[in-house]
Amino acid sequence: MTVPNAEASFGLTEVEAGPAASTPGRGRVVRALLAKPQVVAAAGFLVLLVLLAVLAPVLTAIEGSGPNAFHSGAVDSDLGGMPIGAFGGVSGAHWFGVEPQTGRDIFARIVYGAQVSLTISLATTAVTTVVGVVLGTVAGYFGGVVDTVISRLMDILMAFPALIFMIAILSALPDGNRTLLLICVLSVFGWPYIARVIRGQTMSLRQREFVEAARVSGARLRHQLFAEVLPNLRGTIIVLATMAAPGYIGTEAALSFLGVGVVPPTPSWGQMIAASVNWFTVDPTYFLIPGAFLFLTVMSFIVIGDHAQKVLDGREA
Amino acid sequence: MINFYQLIYRTLTTFSSKKGEGSKVVPDLATDMGQSNADATVWTFHLKKNIYFSTGAPITSKDVKFGVERAFDPKLAVGAPYARLYLDAPKDYEGPYKSGDLSSIETPDDSTIVFHLNQSVPEFASALTEPVFTPFPDDPDTVTETSVDQKPVSSGPYEVKSYTQGSSIALVRNPYWKASTDSVRKAYPDKIDFTFGVDAATVDQRLISDQGKDVDTISGNSVLPSSLAKLQTPQLKSRVVEGESGCTTYLVMNTTKPGLNNVKVRQAISYAINKQQVVDAAGGNQLATITNTMLPSNTPGYQSFDLYPSKDSKGDPAKAKELLKAAGVSNLSLILDTRETDTMISQSEAIQQALAKVGITVKINQIDAASFYQTIGTTSEQHDMTVTGWCPDWASGSTFLPPLFQGSQIFSQGNSNVAQLNDPAVNAQIEKIEKMTDLTEANKAWSALDKQINELAPTVPLYYAKAVSLVGSNVGGAYSDPQRAGGVNFATVGLLDPSK
Amino acid sequence: MAGFLLRRGLFAIGVLVLISIITYGIFFWLSPDPAVTICGKACTPETIATIRHELGLDQPFWLQYVQFVVHFFAGTEYGTGPTATPCTFPCLGFSFQTHQAVWSMISSRLAVSATVAIGAAVLWLLAGIVGGVIGGIKQGTWWDRAGLTVALGSISLPNYFVALILQYLLVVQLRWLPFPSAVKFSDSPTQWFANYLMPWIVLAFGYAAMYLRLVRASVIETLSENFLRTARAKGLPSSLVIRRHALRPALTPVVTMFGMDFAALLGGAVIVETVFGLNGVGKLTSDSITKNDQPVIMGVTLLVAFFVVVANLVVDILYTVLDPRVRIPR
Repeated sequence: MTVPNAEASFGLTEVEAGPAASTPGRGRVVRALLAKPQVVAAAGFLVLLVLLAVLAPVLTAIEGSGPNAFHSGAVDSDLGGMPIGAFGGVSGAHWFGVEPQTGRDIFARIVYGAQVSLTISLATTAVTTVVGVVLGTVAGYFGGVVDTVISRLMDILMAFPALIFMIAILSALPDGNRTLLLICVLSVFGWPYIARVIRGQTMSLRQREFVEAARVSGARLRHQLFAEVLPNLRGTIIVLATMAAPGYIGTEAALSFLGVGVVPPTPSWGQMIAASVNWFTVDPTYFLIPGAFLFLTVMSFIVIGDHAQKVLDGREA
Repeated sequence: MINFYQLIYRTLTTFSSKKGEGSKVVPDLATDMGQSNADATVWTFHLKKNIYFSTGAPITSKDVKFGVERAFDPKLAVGAPYARLYLDAPKDYEGPYKSGDLSSIETPDDSTIVFHLNQSVPEFASALTEPVFTPFPDDPDTVTETSVDQKPVSSGPYEVKSYTQGSSIALVRNPYWKASTDSVRKAYPDKIDFTFGVDAATVDQRLISDQGKDVDTISGNSVLPSSLAKLQTPQLKSRVVEGESGCTTYLVMNTTKPGLNNVKVRQAISYAINKQQVVDAAGGNQLATITNTMLPSNTPGYQSFDLYPSKDSKGDPAKAKELLKAAGVSNLSLILDTRETDTMISQSEAIQQALAKVGITVKINQIDAASFYQTIGTTSEQHDMTVTGWCPDWASGSTFLPPLFQGSQIFSQGNSNVAQLNDPAVNAQIEKIEKMTDLTEANKAWSALDKQINELAPTVPLYYAKAVSLVGSNVGGAYSDPQRAGGVNFATVGLLDPSK
Repeated sequence: MAGFLLRRGLFAIGVLVLISIITYGIFFWLSPDPAVTICGKACTPETIATIRHELGLDQPFWLQYVQFVVHFFAGTEYGTGPTATPCTFPCLGFSFQTHQAVWSMISSRLAVSATVAIGAAVLWLLAGIVGGVIGGIKQGTWWDRAGLTVALGSISLPNYFVALILQYLLVVQLRWLPFPSAVKFSDSPTQWFANYLMPWIVLAFGYAAMYLRLVRASVIETLSENFLRTARAKGLPSSLVIRRHALRPALTPVVTMFGMDFAALLGGAVIVETVFGLNGVGKLTSDSITKNDQPVIMGVTLLVAFFVVVANLVVDILYTVLDPRVRIPR
């Protein structure tokens, strides 16, 4: 299980490396998933979030505030910059209220923050999945020295105190392109969790008759891997990717929370929560809104991943 | 710093602890403010009687001399380098451990000390308040290069009983200190415990709650902006101590960089900045007051002016654009070095926003809090602009304008003239004022120079930081003092009911 | 068995050596020059060169690394003369900021981190195992569904967010708990307990959910295995089957996970300690990061890696003892 509270182990532990189930048809899986109201709700939220992120410029234009514009009028300078009005200054002009002190619009920062969160987590998911699947299949299929090398590398990476290490590397590196840096650092520590499962499944697939048959009949290596092994891993890969994404969202937020994430003024949910820590007693809206978005996003991914796994395992088709 | 040092150390002169006169310099170990020759290059001081170290040994002029000599050791240099700056010492003098005796300090007898300076310093008596002039027993065997860090010999009313780096200091009475010799320190409490590293929000909340031992507690820092909204009840308001910090926060522009080497561009930026937004980012009106001058308002001879006025100090983008057009500059892109703390980042973002309105792109370059000052003080590493502050060592233009704007004070490392301003007229005026022996005239001239410099706009004065601190309900005699960064003066604070 | 232990032990040592090289390398190549940091204000290129020489920073990477390892075991001294600070085994060097030995800074904070970790572990093991076993046995019931839903929620909540919600509800709104303030257990046991209660709950929250899901899945899997079916078919009462035969194999995966999680936590819960202002190793880490105090960050990284590697080893050994199905690999 991927865990957004980055203090816990970073990566997947729950997806079992059991025998790979033959993947059911794509249409049937989607239909089975969409029969679940929870999945529909979760998917609906993620679609909404993607829309918010993509349409951020349009939406903020409608609302009337950019993510970085200061609004002195919306905060009370005599009270240390408390937002004026109930619920952290929620109003027609500021749908989610404003930041204390600066008066920046929270709605605008949430939707632009969604861009950052989604970009980093989805890109990291793509990278770790590709690397994890390639190295996992290679290790599982060829065994021997190749397997030993890759497995030991995974063991070492997983023995690393990932969070502390990521913080250390990120704080040591110059600013540069933070988004890219975050993707790289998250990927380095993320792929073994995917590769480990894929390796196990490939090993068991290798014993199956149809792969065995292809190998004995002298099929090309590429054919063995791409025609026989990979298609049977498709379900597992989808589940692994879905389960990995929320972990990266959570870790990115945690790194931003600790101040080594994206660079200001780029908005980020984790950084918004970090800034709200001192204000939670007098302005709870300030931490509740980014927190709620983070929570719902992570939960939606997990709900979909959970159910996808069940469907693919044939437990609840 | 001076606030804490006053508890354990005494110097020849020090800052008064009378309410409202905290920036005034008064005699401490010395009997008076000293006698100088006509051009203020030779200064003579006499020591009081009955003054002792915590070891029980009397404090003599030789101990004062030894303390100053130590300050020449490059390894031990602490605080502002006034001893090296003013004393007539050989270039290669490196303190008593390496270079031995310094001949420019004479001690004709145990209670007389004579300083020979390399220039005329009318304010030398004020410079003597600095930590580099702290006396230590003249005995290189017991007071070694490192022993002061481990076990300081105290001359003030308290001595260090225990010290855990980064965590706590416990002070107890120095039994040899005599109240009769000290007009500055009240030293009411029998012991003072300092605790460091407590989270700021926790400090605020504990002082607001005022439970248990916290009734006897004061805080060394101002409250967080987020706590101000909680301090609105009459009971809490009565425990609030607030005042100016005596420091100025400003935006400094590197005048050697393309674009910023044009005075019109710098003036445009001066017009463009929305100071109210910067103040809000710094914690609002209670924690910051907008300023248009570099010199703090408590500086003697202070005169107020506003060369780049705008309505409610919210900036004048139209005027700024006009000046940029006149300068023929467009598409300017600047890097703003920013100390990596929440409030400094917010302030940089406010500047970024204000300059975006006049078409200047600003990129914020975060520098971690520990190495920020080294980075901006290294000319090869600093970028175009930064927001920083300056607190004068004593209230005078002489400890404010020369370090920030004198051409001869541009150093490749440890540079305080971050603007790298090297203007012949300004340089000449600084040298002229520094020679004035009439301090009233000098003070007036410093303020006029402040205006002259501001016309060149190497900096945009932003605000005077203010301190709002909360004290426990059993604490008496607490008042804010600009010489102590607006915090509570430690030397005079006490408990209303010590039995509690 | 001896061969297995030897092989695992050697691998653990190998991993530690590798991690230390990588860690040292990162600080060697990526970090800003520590000599500049130490030099402080009023610094000249000559002073920096002197400091670099004194610290041995002008030597090549491998020499520096070897020296680091030698110092680690043999110890060294900081400064000279009677006031020099000694650094004995395990010597991780000296902080650039406080000039204290890194190990003494870490060890003085280990107790706080251990208190946080142990308290939280008790909570999450209780909640996770009890919830997971009940959910696994009574699969599909109301209890099971409620447990899973709560677990889903808490697994999705970032712990700093939980920390804020809890503080807002329990301290600000309901006033059930006092505001956290650092006190010794001997000064005020109640305040001490109240201080740690929230960090424990917050940390346990996410872990409990993971453990619940893990235990539940494991129990369901074990119950479906043949040897249990046989036991039941032989007429043994269901509760006896569960207690005697199902729980032990079902809980072995928990041992693996717990070993790793707990070991990592001993090295400091960075976020929770920072949020609650607890002066543990995690807080030390985040403080050192803001101050760019590389020797301390490196020390903590190595310590946590050490804990994790040792936990791995212990878990591997325990595994062979606990689970009758596991055979020692040859």
